Amino acid sequence: MSRYLLRRLLLLVPVLVGVSVVVFLVLHLAPGDPAEIMLGPQATQEDVSRLRADLGLDRPLPLQYVHWMAHVLQGDLGRSIRMRQPVLGEVLLRFRATLLLTATALALSTVGGIALGVLSAARPHSLVDRLSTLGSIFGASMPSFWLALVLMVCFSLWLGWLPASGMYGAHAGGGLLDLLSHLVLPAITLAAASMTIIARLTRSTMLDVLRQDFVRTARAKGLVERAVVLRHALRNALIPTVTVVGVQAGYLLGGAVLTETVFSWPGVGTLMIQGILARDFPLVQGCVLVIALGFVLFNLAVDLLYAVLDPRIRYE
Amino acid sequence: MRLGRRWSCVTLAILILLATGVLTVAPAQQASTLVVGLVAEPVALDPAQVTDLNSNRVGRRVVETLVAFADETTQIVPGLAESWTISKDGLSYTFKLRKGISFHDGTPFNAAAVKFSIERQINPEHPANKLGKYPFAAYFFGNVKAVEVMDDSTVRFILKEPRASFLAILTAGAASIVSPTAAMKLGQDYAASPVGTGPFKFATWDHGQRVVLDKNPGYWRFPVKVDHVIFRPITEDQARLTELLTGALDLIVGTPPDFVDQLENNPKVTLQRQVGAHVWYLGFNNAKKPFDDKRVRQALNYAVNKDAIVRDVLKGTGAVSKGPVLPGTWGDDAGLKAFPYDPARARKLLAEAGLPNGFSTTLWVPESGSGMQSPVAMSTIIQSNLKAVGVTVNLQTMEWGTYLAKLRTKEQEMFALSWMAGSEDPDLVLYPLLHSSQWTPVGPNRAMYKNPRFDDVLTQARLTTDQAKRAELYREAQRLLQDDPPWIFIDHEVQTAAYAKRVQGFKLHPSFDLRVETISLK
Repeated sequence: MSRYLLRRLLLLVPVLVGVSVVVFLVLHLAPGDPAEIMLGPQATQEDVSRLRADLGLDRPLPLQYVHWMAHVLQGDLGRSIRMRQPVLGEVLLRFRATLLLTATALALSTVGGIALGVLSAARPHSLVDRLSTLGSIFGASMPSFWLALVLMVCFSLWLGWLPASGMYGAHAGGGLLDLLSHLVLPAITLAAASMTIIARLTRSTMLDVLRQDFVRTARAKGLVERAVVLRHALRNALIPTVTVVGVQAGYLLGGAVLTETVFSWPGVGTLMIQGILARDFPLVQGCVLVIALGFVLFNLAVDLLYAVLDPRIRYE
Repeated sequence: MRLGRRWSCVTLAILILLATGVLTVAPAQQASTLVVGLVAEPVALDPAQVTDLNSNRVGRRVVETLVAFADETTQIVPGLAESWTISKDGLSYTFKLRKGISFHDGTPFNAAAVKFSIERQINPEHPANKLGKYPFAAYFFGNVKAVEVMDDSTVRFILKEPRASFLAILTAGAASIVSPTAAMKLGQDYAASPVGTGPFKFATWDHGQRVVLDKNPGYWRFPVKVDHVIFRPITEDQARLTELLTGALDLIVGTPPDFVDQLENNPKVTLQRQVGAHVWYLGFNNAKKPFDDKRVRQALNYAVNKDAIVRDVLKGTGAVSKGPVLPGTWGDDAGLKAFPYDPARARKLLAEAGLPNGFSTTLWVPESGSGMQSPVAMSTIIQSNLKAVGVTVNLQTMEWGTYLAKLRTKEQEMFALSWMAGSEDPDLVLYPLLHSSQWTPVGPNRAMYKNPRFDDVLTQARLTTDQAKRAELYREAQRLLQDDPPWIFIDHEVQTAAYAKRVQGFKLHPSFDLRVETISLK
């Protein structure tokens, strides 16, 4: 197990180097340069050239990459071109907000999705099942920004229950309740699509499992239905669900960009969008590296979770 | 039982979430704190290091300039300098500074601070030069030869060549006077925590969330009435509007055209409008056929229905433009009228130019961008207007960064762009955009416009310090532009601000500055 873990951790290095090269190239080869964008349409050639030189953008591309990488290896992601702030601090600060949003959404979609799936499978074609199917189709086919706006108009503008943007109220010192109230709408928006996928998958796997012999045996033993469904069937049905949850986690990290923008959630997604629009190379590279690292580590955690769920799976 | 426990946990969690929602029904408004919703987060707060509107709107509450704009116009009035003299040859500007003013960190405001603030941008040997990136060093101060300290409260700027708009330049954010002590102490971090003499002191910046400024109790101009201002970046229009209507924000700027009606009819808020020193235009590549023929350019000016654009797309957040100079200011030629919408005349002019069947061309449009209003919707109307006179326009939309890079290639045929001079001085609009020495890529004349008489007039106007004479020259320049139009003139942006009823004493400023220091809260 520890050997497997070590091997997987070592594999991180080529993955991250690969990601950094691709991001570096895509950013630098895309049209538009940070000096030009920063200076805007009023810029004179003299100002643009001076700023390019200041930023080191007039040097050959491989040299720029090596220079950047050398600093990254020392734990220095450089300074943002547009904000002049050190990238590492900024990205980590924002990543915390993204992680909170993504983790909440993931928990919401997993718990909600599995619960709906189990309820539907336990009583197929019941009212609960039909409602859950309807909700799933609705949830899966709705673009998240639209759902976000609908939730915002309903719960903030009309009902006045929840705030429409940000992570804390303008005045609040940052209490837990304040944070939670700001988290509700973005988390639901982000969770909706994943929840429907997890619910559909859990339902179909559960239906399969419930038809198997060991379930019949359990029922024959006289176990109550609740124990049959939850203790015997669900655990066996969870393996594909965990795989999908792992994939959804990555999807949620990516999807958070849109949700964060709509709700002004101060996460790494909004930071990255601003960075890309401004061609803020160090900032975007830093954001992508941190997100990639988070994604890879999460996948590793999911792989390790299989062994916990299914005693037959062992990593050598 | 285990199931029961789990379900009760989930139910409890949901209840907590709902309860928190109920608890936040009415966001707590604090009597002495103003909360402002911005369209985007400031990039940095040192106005000498930024080029975007939001950064300037916040940063300029903290720092001030030697000369400033009057409360409701862009006329130049004393700021940190109480008076000034300009030498006969227009090469030296001597400022008498106000005495007894201190920066927020206690450093006295004096001539040395003025010298520091400008020289850090233009002198590569200056100790603070490497502490920041100063985007407008050449554009604004390239013409400054030296800044001399005459005595503690007298400072002199020596120019390389006369430039009559120099005072207007000194009203720019880049000309703000900063505390040398703070700038040296904070180094590169100064950009995020400015120290000046302004009505508000910088307090905190929670990145992505809010910038907080505290009242400067000893502000030299007047007593500031609000204790704190909080600026919150809220990019999504609907969210900004919702937060205003639910009382979480006191004031928002940059209302999208589609929300104007809704806000205007809402009893909870007041909507204010103000024409800004801005122009939105559709440039031709004057060096390319068929745009090298002025009859073609005149024809296209007649072909576009600007009233319809302002009414239907911008919903009144634009004022029809007759040229680059802001109407009603000293340089404006009040006798000139905007090109009327006259498709028949357009077709006639095209026929005279040898194009009775029109022609095909390409129009580059950015999807968004600073001061671009609703570029794609506006361009689509222009496209259909031109189609009606036989000109087939192929619309190409681009992302802003890509767009700016493409414009340097000089391959454009037609392009949509805007200019936010932030000042009424015609020199700051006409010269960079239309003087032939400013052809891209050297300067921002992306229309490749060249008219020798026009060039002469602009140069003369730069060398004359007498404003009445300059005004006469600029009026001539505008008449030349009407006869030989370099662009299709579209509109001047009408800024909008919407604010809660408790906000008193706020006025939008034509320079796009956001002067929240005049506000008191009921």
